[in-house]
Amino acid sequence: MEKEFKVALAQIECKRGDKNSNIDKIEEKVTEAKKRGAKLVIFPEMSLTGYVVRDEIYELAENIPGPSTKTLERIAQRTKTHVVFGMPELSGKTRATVFNSSVLVGPKGFIGKYRKMYLPTHSVFEEKRYFRPGYQSAVLDTELGKIGLIICYDIFFPEVSRLTRLEGAQLIVCISASPAVRRTFFETLTTARAIENTAFVAYVNLVGFEDGLQFWGGSRLIGPSGKILAKARYDEEDMVLGTVDYDEIRPVETFVPTLRDLRPELFDKLRETSEKL
Amino acid sequence: MDLTPSVLNLDWTEVEKRIEHFIKDYVEKSGARGIVLGLSGGVDSCTVAALSAKAVGGSKVLGLQLPEKEVFAAVDAKHSSLIAKKFKFKTIRIDITPTLQAFYSSIPIFDKSEKLCKGNLKARTRMVYIYYYANNRNMLVCGSSDKSETMMGYFTKWGDVAADISPIMDLYKTQVRMLAQHLKIPKEIARKPSTPALWPNQLAEKELGIKYEQLDLILYGLEHFMKTDEIAKQLKISKKRVDDVKRRWHSTEHKRQMLLTAKLGYRTVGKDFRLPFTAV
Repeated sequence: MEKEFKVALAQIECKRGDKNSNIDKIEEKVTEAKKRGAKLVIFPEMSLTGYVVRDEIYELAENIPGPSTKTLERIAQRTKTHVVFGMPELSGKTRATVFNSSVLVGPKGFIGKYRKMYLPTHSVFEEKRYFRPGYQSAVLDTELGKIGLIICYDIFFPEVSRLTRLEGAQLIVCISASPAVRRTFFETLTTARAIENTAFVAYVNLVGFEDGLQFWGGSRLIGPSGKILAKARYDEEDMVLGTVDYDEIRPVETFVPTLRDLRPELFDKLRETSEKL
Repeated sequence: MDLTPSVLNLDWTEVEKRIEHFIKDYVEKSGARGIVLGLSGGVDSCTVAALSAKAVGGSKVLGLQLPEKEVFAAVDAKHSSLIAKKFKFKTIRIDITPTLQAFYSSIPIFDKSEKLCKGNLKARTRMVYIYYYANNRNMLVCGSSDKSETMMGYFTKWGDVAADISPIMDLYKTQVRMLAQHLKIPKEIARKPSTPALWPNQLAEKELGIKYEQLDLILYGLEHFMKTDEIAKQLKISKKRVDDVKRRWHSTEHKRQMLLTAKLGYRTVGKDFRLPFTAV
């Protein structure tokens, strides 16, 4: 396992509904990131299709693995990189049940996927109308260590990140489609998740306008002490690289020992109380 | 939440950037050659004209001045020209009086004493001219409605609100004035009392029965799910005044939504046909 490697945060604008065009852009960015030394390249939530696709989701969703993941696998194999991207996933057991998923492929092909657990359905968001929530965290064993996957609104619920950390993830990858009015929330919460878990957090957001929603970009790699190690521009397509060095976790974990101090009995209490809200 | 005027203050550099980005993006993706807008000389249309010119370049913006003799104000014409010169976009002035006269004489039931019917006819006539230019020149119509008048339903259905995009519709009137000042639009325009110019001496605040400074705070409170008694308490006004604003907001929802129809089919236009606004 590599202890130190470069991560590329590829915040792109997607062409809505045009998977071929988006795959072309993903391939171009992966190739460029590889040249710049990246071992892991991360794309935003729903980067295969764009975010605001509404009823078109039923046309665009695919099984995982499926045709698009196969193409992404080939790109990862050709470039010998790991790639995380987002897409609508059609359940293999039904005909129109869709998940909002994050996929990880690598030099040896498909590695795993995560189905978004918290689906925002308020304000401009209507995810519960289209998606079934996932029920499992995803911590995937790779040559780059254990990588935890979460998606956008999941970050408002610290238990999702915490679960991946407790399952061994030292790098939590959060792909996102966050509109500009929510920027301060994500800037705060991404740092908080890194600090409270003493883990690396890689956050990659969309850019561009989709039906009046402007996605703000601002992708970032945050170290276990909360330090921002790489940060992409606001509002524009950009790709920045940062270094994940797992050895940085140890001194932070001794200085702020949140995992040592974890109190499991509080989780039972939390469950009891939240059920009665 | 404290309902003070400061809640309406935004980072105007950021707001300007976002709106201009929005306009540019939409024009480019639509394949249109530019923007056409009705230029009344009021703060809303002058602000939208300035933003449009900054977003896509003045050469791609056309301001239509559509005066008519009953409500003609030389100062508005002067302000329109001033903004066009400052932000370097073209204008065309067309007197719509003859067209209105033709309508008046050809509508069998026309009654000049029915102020509202006649006023709405003017707003819709302006819309016809603007859309003719848009179609003819493959341009997008950029609307100038603000959030205050949109929430109050203070506009003509299929008239002044008709547009392809409406870049300042999420800003209250007092916020538009602040944005106008940020854009260095002259103060006499930014602070000029608003009028829909449907009949002589018509003033928005007089018709709405409330100053925009107060209305915008009430609407801001309602937008943020505050209860009317709490808004009234904070603004030190009667609960009835706030309830009246809320009632007017709710009762005009039909002017803001897609047409209502009886649900008969599997999927229905405007209800559960939920497609992206722009083609996927």
